[in-house]
Amino acid sequence: MTIQRSLVSVVDDDESVRESLPDLLKEFGFDARTFSSAQEFLNSDCVGKTQCLILDVAMPGMSGPDLQRELKIRHQAIPIVFITARRDENIRPRLLEQGAVECLFKPFSDTALLEALNAALRVN
Amino acid sequence: MLESPTEEVTRLRGCLNDLVGIMALPALWAGGEPQQIVSTLLDALLGLLQLAFVFVRLNDPDGGPSIEMMRRSELLESTDSAREFGVALDASRGNAPLKWPSIARVSIGNADFRVASVRLGAQGEIGVVVAGCERPGFPEQTERLLLDVAANQAAMGLQHARLLSEQKRVARELDRRVAQRTAELAKANEELRNEIIERRLTEEKLRHEERELERSQAFLAEAQQLARIGSFSWRVATDEITWSEQLYRIFEFEPGLRITLERIATRVHPDDLHTLGEMVDRARRDAGDLHYEHRLLMPDGSVKYLHLLAHGAIDNDGGSVYTGAVQDVTKRRHAEESLVQARSELAQATRVTSLGVLTASIAHEVSQPLAGIVTNASTCARMLAAEPPNIEGARETVRRTIRDGNRASEVITRLRDLFRGRDLVVESVDLTETTQEVIALTLSELQRNRVILRPELDDKLPAVLADRVQLQQVILNLLRNASDAMVDIEDRSRELLIKTEPDGDDHVRLTVKDVGGGFVPQDMDKLFEAFHTTKKEGMGIGLSVSRSIIERHNGRLWATLNDGPGATFSFSIPCRPASVGAGDPVAIRTATAMDSHQVVRSL
Repeated sequence: MTIQRSLVSVVDDDESVRESLPDLLKEFGFDARTFSSAQEFLNSDCVGKTQCLILDVAMPGMSGPDLQRELKIRHQAIPIVFITARRDENIRPRLLEQGAVECLFKPFSDTALLEALNAALRVN
Repeated sequence: MLESPTEEVTRLRGCLNDLVGIMALPALWAGGEPQQIVSTLLDALLGLLQLAFVFVRLNDPDGGPSIEMMRRSELLESTDSAREFGVALDASRGNAPLKWPSIARVSIGNADFRVASVRLGAQGEIGVVVAGCERPGFPEQTERLLLDVAANQAAMGLQHARLLSEQKRVARELDRRVAQRTAELAKANEELRNEIIERRLTEEKLRHEERELERSQAFLAEAQQLARIGSFSWRVATDEITWSEQLYRIFEFEPGLRITLERIATRVHPDDLHTLGEMVDRARRDAGDLHYEHRLLMPDGSVKYLHLLAHGAIDNDGGSVYTGAVQDVTKRRHAEESLVQARSELAQATRVTSLGVLTASIAHEVSQPLAGIVTNASTCARMLAAEPPNIEGARETVRRTIRDGNRASEVITRLRDLFRGRDLVVESVDLTETTQEVIALTLSELQRNRVILRPELDDKLPAVLADRVQLQQVILNLLRNASDAMVDIEDRSRELLIKTEPDGDDHVRLTVKDVGGGFVPQDMDKLFEAFHTTKKEGMGIGLSVSRSIIERHNGRLWATLNDGPGATFSFSIPCRPASVGAGDPVAIRTATAMDSHQVVRSL
């Protein structure tokens, strides 16, 4: 018997995040996939399998909240943890109100991320 | 010799008939001209007396040439004209016919004639009639009688004709004189009429001009009132001052009140009295043009802002006379003040906003690699803490940590590059001229802050190779700082000295000296640091930027405290910076803070 690891997908246009996060997520015991844009994620076969989405807010093309709305339309209830480099205190409550599990400001600590992921998976 | 009675009767009857004929002559010539009378007389005598010729000479009553006429019988051979006949007569008888014998003989051509002369007029004053006949008995007694009667008749006729012609002449002369006089009168009349018309036109024109003048004056008064501009003249030596109505209105003085400098001073705002004093001093000193702004403090406590412009001229007596205008700019000033306030609030808001935007941009740019660093470091720590430690994974994460660290550093470098200014062009610059340009720009602002500017500019400074606009920025900054430093000074004149002068052989120096609060000596070094400020408004980068500009010109900018109140800021720059050649304008890099929007856009 094999234990299926939870799949966490990361959508961020910033390469350093895409490079660093998967290793940390694997240390946490998750499977990780990275995508450089919302469109790339939607086009992938991961949409249905993803148990938690780590999503950058500001991206060229479709933004994080845009993707959140799109998933709602497709009835894909994936818990979302937003990450953003723009430290705007107003944005967090707005995103949480719209159903996000958490919103972390970059740079964030590993423990903060783990807590958010655990919360997300509990929701799931 | 006796004739027969019958012959005698016949002859006398014939003579009587002839006499009747002659008596009838006046009826023929009545009212005629002398020539007509003579002509009729000649025809009658020639026929009646069967003469060979008959000649008449009429004297001109005015002594002119006489008129000579003659008739001759067809049988007479001579065809001489009356004139020739007259000449011949004179030649043979002398030219005084009155002295001629009444009967004589003459020969004309080959023929001999008996000639009878009869005077016209009692003394022959009218002329003479000469009748010639070949008959030896001529003139017989009856013929003589006929000649005399005829001559008498003719004389009377001629006399009458002369009188008539004289009358006519007199009448003509009278007419002529009357006509002449009439013409003269008419002309005089015409001239008079023209004169009257002209005078009327002149009067009308005058009236029109008066009306125009009145209207212009009314317009001027109205315009002055509308524009709140009053005009004045001021004879400096005697302090005779003349004001327009509107100026009385502006100062709220009774119209017609005698205006003196003392009276003006009662209205001038106490804080601006020194401006009035300075203006009067200046006018007495050099009669240069005046351009001042000052305030009035009205009896009701309200404040008016006035703008005065006056031109000084030397009059015939050698004294200076100022003519000028004073405008009440209170409304404009209030509008300007609210505009300035709004603008400074806006600038402040923009500055804060820009700073916020800038900070956010910097934060975002740096946060991205930092996120990577933190994540990698966390991962690394976890890998090393695992049993067994994942050395290979840890090494990889450390590598990425270093790379992200470098990336963050690059962002900082890029930001610093952005703060580095644009390329600027240096040119040959006259520091004094450049300073004057800045003064012109700030004069009204300085006056508004009641700063008395004392320029001591050397107009023979050597040129420097520099960036004109940047130097102006520095000068403007020093002037503003000096003016701002004196804004709370009320116990002394806010004097600001700006001076340009040579500094050694190869430098020029500009000095700005104020009488403000100065600075704390310990702060001397901080003065030129960015973001150090003592002002409520302002980012505190003016002096920092100024110093970097001056240093880019290989010069130096420094501050000293005055012996008295206030501070002095000076800069000195070389005429030819070592780094810049003497040739064409050269682009140099100069440190200036760029506008934050540009930074954000570039990021």
